Amino acid sequence: MTGLKRVFIVALALLMVVTSVFAQGTKEDASAGKQIELTVLNYIDMSEPNSANEISMVWDKFAAENPDIKLVREDLFNEPFHQKTEAYVASGKVPDVLYMWPSGRSTSLHTTKSVKDLMPFLQKDGMVDDYNPATLAPQFAGFLGELPNGLTTTHMLYVNTKVLRENGLSIPKSYAEMKAMVGPLKAKGIDLIAMDNMDAWVMQSCLFSMVVGRFGGTDWHDKVAAGTLKFTDPWFVKSLELIDDMYKSGMLNRNSLSSPYGSSRGSFAAGKAAFYIDGDWSTASFQTDITTGKALVSPASQQNDFELMVIPNLPGEVISNSNSGVVGTGWGMSANIPAGSAKEAAAWRLIKYLQGEYVQTYRLSTGASFPSNLNVDVEKVVKEKNLEPFIAKRAAYYAAYTTITPVIDGVLHSDVYNVINTGLQEIGLGSKAPSQVASEVQKAWETWKKNQ
Amino acid sequence: MPKEHTLLDAKREQKRAYWTLVLPGFLIYISVMAFPTIFSIFLSISDYNGGKLFGGKPISFVGLKWYGRLFVDEYFYLALKNNLYIVLVSVFGQIPLGFFLAYVLYRGIVKKADFFQTMIYLPTVISTVVIGILWKSFFAPYGAFPELVRLFNPTYEYGISNHPMLPVLFVILWMYTGMYLIIFIANLQKIDGAVIEAARIDGASETQVLGNIILPALSGVLVTTAILAISGSLKSFDLIYVMTAGGPANRTSVLSIYMFDKAFKGAPNYPLANAISTVMVIISFALIGLTKWVEGKFGGRE
Repeated sequence: MTGLKRVFIVALALLMVVTSVFAQGTKEDASAGKQIELTVLNYIDMSEPNSANEISMVWDKFAAENPDIKLVREDLFNEPFHQKTEAYVASGKVPDVLYMWPSGRSTSLHTTKSVKDLMPFLQKDGMVDDYNPATLAPQFAGFLGELPNGLTTTHMLYVNTKVLRENGLSIPKSYAEMKAMVGPLKAKGIDLIAMDNMDAWVMQSCLFSMVVGRFGGTDWHDKVAAGTLKFTDPWFVKSLELIDDMYKSGMLNRNSLSSPYGSSRGSFAAGKAAFYIDGDWSTASFQTDITTGKALVSPASQQNDFELMVIPNLPGEVISNSNSGVVGTGWGMSANIPAGSAKEAAAWRLIKYLQGEYVQTYRLSTGASFPSNLNVDVEKVVKEKNLEPFIAKRAAYYAAYTTITPVIDGVLHSDVYNVINTGLQEIGLGSKAPSQVASEVQKAWETWKKNQ
Repeated sequence: MPKEHTLLDAKREQKRAYWTLVLPGFLIYISVMAFPTIFSIFLSISDYNGGKLFGGKPISFVGLKWYGRLFVDEYFYLALKNNLYIVLVSVFGQIPLGFFLAYVLYRGIVKKADFFQTMIYLPTVISTVVIGILWKSFFAPYGAFPELVRLFNPTYEYGISNHPMLPVLFVILWMYTGMYLIIFIANLQKIDGAVIEAARIDGASETQVLGNIILPALSGVLVTTAILAISGSLKSFDLIYVMTAGGPANRTSVLSIYMFDKAFKGAPNYPLANAISTVMVIISFALIGLTKWVEGKFGGRE
């Protein structure tokens, strides 16, 4: 018994010595500054073309060029990404460098000031003029929480002109013309519009925000905030009624409510629908994967059989051909990193690289984003690198639709936009009337306002 | 000279042994079960809204504000209703079906019992996420289910039915019945075969054997499985989250998804999410209490 006790005590003492030695060792490594470790939360859809390639083209390249920095990267996508981010914010342990939105799902990163203002870093390095000024505007909490990739338009109407041609139809010039296509296409078993509405944000972000802008004008949010517009007023009710009409007339299939995000791109490319609604970012999913050489839509077909546009004129709209847009996603830096530390310098070096000329040119070539960095000459890159037709068509699309209205989840609080998201699905199910949803949104807005 | 062992020493030794054995389990229970539950109640009556719990923004108490908000939200009742559907499918679907299948296999009514036992149990050992993705694709608008139905009815058009929970309930029934089958088979094998044989020799029918020997012998197991089914149903999350994430318009949401959405979708509302979890604990206790009462009232003896 005593012998056993002795063995136990010696083992315990040894364990303590060993653990303390290792703890000390880590401290020494850090202070010696051999390699600075940065935790990174990356947003990547591994099922998209060129995703695997991004690892070697972007991340491995940085690692090779910066041997003094060790990146511990976490790759996530869609809901798991946002939930993990919220958990990080709640625990106060935000990764050193992380992908984020200027508002919307990253709201809490901004409001809790979990990330640093990047404007002083840009100013210190004299880099303010390197970026499109519109992308450097203060974000949700009034500071530059993330350095954006570019500007994003959240509505894009992808048109399969081959399907239209084969059915004796042409690109519609008005909503009414588009609606009239439902019958002839349905007779052939083709849907008019493919859209994935199971995730509640898709309808709000990729269609409804644009519609609200058409009926409410570019400054609807300012007017709502000032109390001169209400969600129960005609501009908003009409917007909801339009969505209701799209479902009732068969322009939008109610089955889209059971379609997970991204799942109908293949069906659209295969000609099962004449139109597809998503954000501009989805052009990347149709392009060729460099590694496998495969594409949902081949470059030749992109040139001849597809067009990128916005929904044509709506009856009763106050502005035409407008689109909904927001400053793009980008990279932020954790506020936990001590100011002036070597770690802060390393994190800023990474962010500068990720939004620098090389990475933004690469992202342009894969269609992932259009650059915010003015050193990237889009036209030149398209010509020199012989990029796929969707890139050039996307540039033309940005030039054609210059009136940009707010994206709902970019300007409203989640207590309000979640009610809109669910209300749009209720309209899709046919279980709530547009006026009822409008009242609920107004009530949510008033409650939120009261609590501020 | 060796020390003499007195009765007092023996008692002290017994006490020490008792605490040595009980303490680790007790501490684990306190840290991972009791403390989080009580802390959750504490958060549900506070205004904590993220950030550091200690040393951050001071937390103040707001009474039952969040419970008030909860009980006027239509989607809370929708989630609760869906949870009750799952409880019903579990208690009155999985358990009877599991028992029926176990009885059929145990009594040798079908051949190749081992094969069927393996096949029925198989879904339980497959990852829930894999099962969720599989069935999501199966029931998708361009999935296998509409195509299969069209083989028999070419004009069939897949539509969001008035009961979007039906596919989810079907998958829950399919997935978990195997677990109850195994529990029942294991307990059926404990019943003395001679008793059943004697009853059959005395002229008892199969129904009489089932009603007078097997079911009374298994009443305790039935209660245990009912408790497992109820608690499992209330915490169901993973499968539904993967299949539908509660959509569309929260039609397939359950309390755990409703709670998760409040905590992690958009600006987090942790007190509200904790109020939901507290309500879930109360409902769970109430339903388990009801089960125990039913067993006490009508159950037999093992």
